[in-house]
Amino acid sequence: MSKLPLEGIRVVELTTGAAGPTVARVLCEFGAEVIRCETRLRGDGHRGEDPKLWNMKPDFMKLQRGKKSFTVNMQTPKGRELVKELVKKSDVLVENFGLGILEKWGLDWPRLKDINPRCILIRVKGMGCTGPHAADLTYGPNVGNTMGTTYLWNYPGAVTATAEPRTQHPDFMGGVTGAFAVVLALIHRKKTGRGQWIDSAQVEIGASILGPKYLEYSVNHREPQPQGNRSLTAAPYGPYQCKGDDRWCVISVYTEDEWERLANLLEKSGLKRDPKFATHLQRVRHKDDLDKWITSWTLRHDPYEVMELLQDIDVCAAVVQDVEDQFKRDKQYAATGFLVNMTEPEAGDVVTEGVPMRLSETPGKVRGLAPLMGEHTHEIARELLGLRDQEIKQLEEEKVLY
Amino acid sequence: MNESDRTAPLAGYRVLDLGGPLALHCTKLLADMGADVIKIEPPSGDESRRVPPFKDDLPHPEKSLYFLHFNTNKRGITLDIEKPDGRAILLELAGKADVVIETFRPSRAKELRLTYPDLSAGNPGLIVASITPFGQSGPWRDYKASDIAGIALGNLLYLAGEPGEPPLQPPGEIAYGMASTYGAFGIATALYHRLKSGRGQQIDVSMHECAGHIAGYFIPNYGYTGAKPARASRKGEETDLYDPYATKNGYARIFIIPVEQWRRLVDWMGRPAAISGPEFEKMSYRRQHPEIVVGAIAEFCRRHTKEELYEEGQKRRIAVTPINTAGEFINSEQVKERGIFVDMEHPVIGKYAHFGPVPRLSESAGEITRTAPLIGQHNKEIYCGELGMSNDDLTALRASGVI
Repeated sequence: MSKLPLEGIRVVELTTGAAGPTVARVLCEFGAEVIRCETRLRGDGHRGEDPKLWNMKPDFMKLQRGKKSFTVNMQTPKGRELVKELVKKSDVLVENFGLGILEKWGLDWPRLKDINPRCILIRVKGMGCTGPHAADLTYGPNVGNTMGTTYLWNYPGAVTATAEPRTQHPDFMGGVTGAFAVVLALIHRKKTGRGQWIDSAQVEIGASILGPKYLEYSVNHREPQPQGNRSLTAAPYGPYQCKGDDRWCVISVYTEDEWERLANLLEKSGLKRDPKFATHLQRVRHKDDLDKWITSWTLRHDPYEVMELLQDIDVCAAVVQDVEDQFKRDKQYAATGFLVNMTEPEAGDVVTEGVPMRLSETPGKVRGLAPLMGEHTHEIARELLGLRDQEIKQLEEEKVLY
Repeated sequence: MNESDRTAPLAGYRVLDLGGPLALHCTKLLADMGADVIKIEPPSGDESRRVPPFKDDLPHPEKSLYFLHFNTNKRGITLDIEKPDGRAILLELAGKADVVIETFRPSRAKELRLTYPDLSAGNPGLIVASITPFGQSGPWRDYKASDIAGIALGNLLYLAGEPGEPPLQPPGEIAYGMASTYGAFGIATALYHRLKSGRGQQIDVSMHECAGHIAGYFIPNYGYTGAKPARASRKGEETDLYDPYATKNGYARIFIIPVEQWRRLVDWMGRPAAISGPEFEKMSYRRQHPEIVVGAIAEFCRRHTKEELYEEGQKRRIAVTPINTAGEFINSEQVKERGIFVDMEHPVIGKYAHFGPVPRLSESAGEITRTAPLIGQHNKEIYCGELGMSNDDLTALRASGVI
């Protein structure tokens, strides 16, 4: 197999949470060596509060697999010097602490540039590195709030704001977008020899797919409202209830041909087609009746039957899967090996999501287990920082390599 | 360094955009980072021109604000790639391109004879990004999937919505967006590889697998503990603490992880007896007693506006955010000061504020240089100016419905 495309690129990670780690995780899957700096003074949000559980968290495995863990205490001047030495020998620094912390450590761009002008620094922040709210504290679920996602992710006419689920998609989309930006900077460096820094605001990345909503406001001077499962371009459209407890299958029909095939299938099963569904306009106008008609059929079937019966006649249908379905009934995940098993030294068997993209010449892959806290401290101190065993021992006693 | 060195990182790369809505965000990312993206539309116009909202609510191929957002910064040509002349022109364009982006189902790409080997036959350095609902392999590879289908299979739809109500689709196309983002990262990575090897390759992105990455930590947690969160049983789960709280004028979220933030919140609230005990400093304890914690915080939030909570909460280093409308976001000081929106003018739509390039690279920043193309706007420029066709050729192609 060919070499991975980012082989030879060394990434130092000073992060917490998910968005920063995701940048480095994605780079790692395509060949970068990632050194995660962390400290035993406290586990980060995903290692957790309890030291006994530091190496046991499956969410941590998802974010950190394939990386190395280097324990260093950034509260100490010596610790900061060691990280500066690391950065001098690296290509990329990923950080996502609150604004001001990197400055305190002397690793913000004006100073990092003096240490290593070829380095690429990516600063992942909820709100970005400039502006009156640059220093905001935000976690994944906060990001969708300011940009309008939480408000809009609701039923039409909703009076509460609690329908949005507990997801952090801006963390993950922000992470992959950050990795994209880092590779662009590597391309730029290949041509010019120079590094640079990247100001990556999660809120802006999340907002960039909401563009049409903002245009509705700025062009049509109207505040966009929650649309629920409504569509004007497809009918039938949305989740339809199926046989079973809280089981649903999404259907979306865009063309007359698709509609004919769907309606014929329902007729064959004994359901009478109402002439008021004859055209797309009528189907949109009579959406409630249409949905009732479709549901009278879907309720007879398991959602996977609905999906397969409709996909067999080339109509878009997809099961509303829960996580158990993803493990047990998703034939596509099973066939492509998307769910990756790893046996972690302390946690045991853990399953995480695979690489959702294949490059024919330089495929990415899950490259290893998640590191135990400090697993690679000695290796990195010896091989990269050139420290002798006696010095390492002393630095550990001084709680610098800690 | 002088200004002329500050070129966008993908300046000089040419991208042919054959993709449907699944790849719109991908080609936007590439165009905003400086690539010359040529959007290839069927002579009747791209399907995204039919997607609302429209300027003044008037459906018209040049008035779709959806099309405008995703296609600003691209050039546009029309071409019927199913006709022999159209296919030949496409292959000629592919011979001069760095990247081709397509979203055909694998069987359709074969039917059209537009697979990676077909497209790259005369151009071994070509990178072909195939961004498809289910990828190039597996039993579902030729299934159809819209954005909501990707979100449904990815366990994001199931979790959204109120108990007892149907699952609820998010605003914005998150599954398309995630697949597009991975596609852009894959293309950048393949271009970087090509700088060293000179060789192109095919990138196979599965929206279905990309969607598997965005719901959160449910896959690793289920695999480890069998925990299976459900839309209809939020009580007692962490969401209880993290659901937005009602304020005087809308909602705000307070998201607490480190213990220091919890202490600062309790201090700010005036140390109410119900939640001031040391046992509440443990997140696990708070999660076990949501009714006490939520009750106290809810009472506090009701006395303030969401803006007061946001400004004062962040000042006190607590992760508080207001639940904004789109307009409140656009008009916020943060957005204004960062200049996220760029003033543009479109010949039909008129002046508009376009969402600019993200993220920001200090030395090779992206830029917005042109508005979205009218149907076939760059036909002459590209067919005559760059492929060397004559005006007569253009007329003949038009007459046969190729362009």
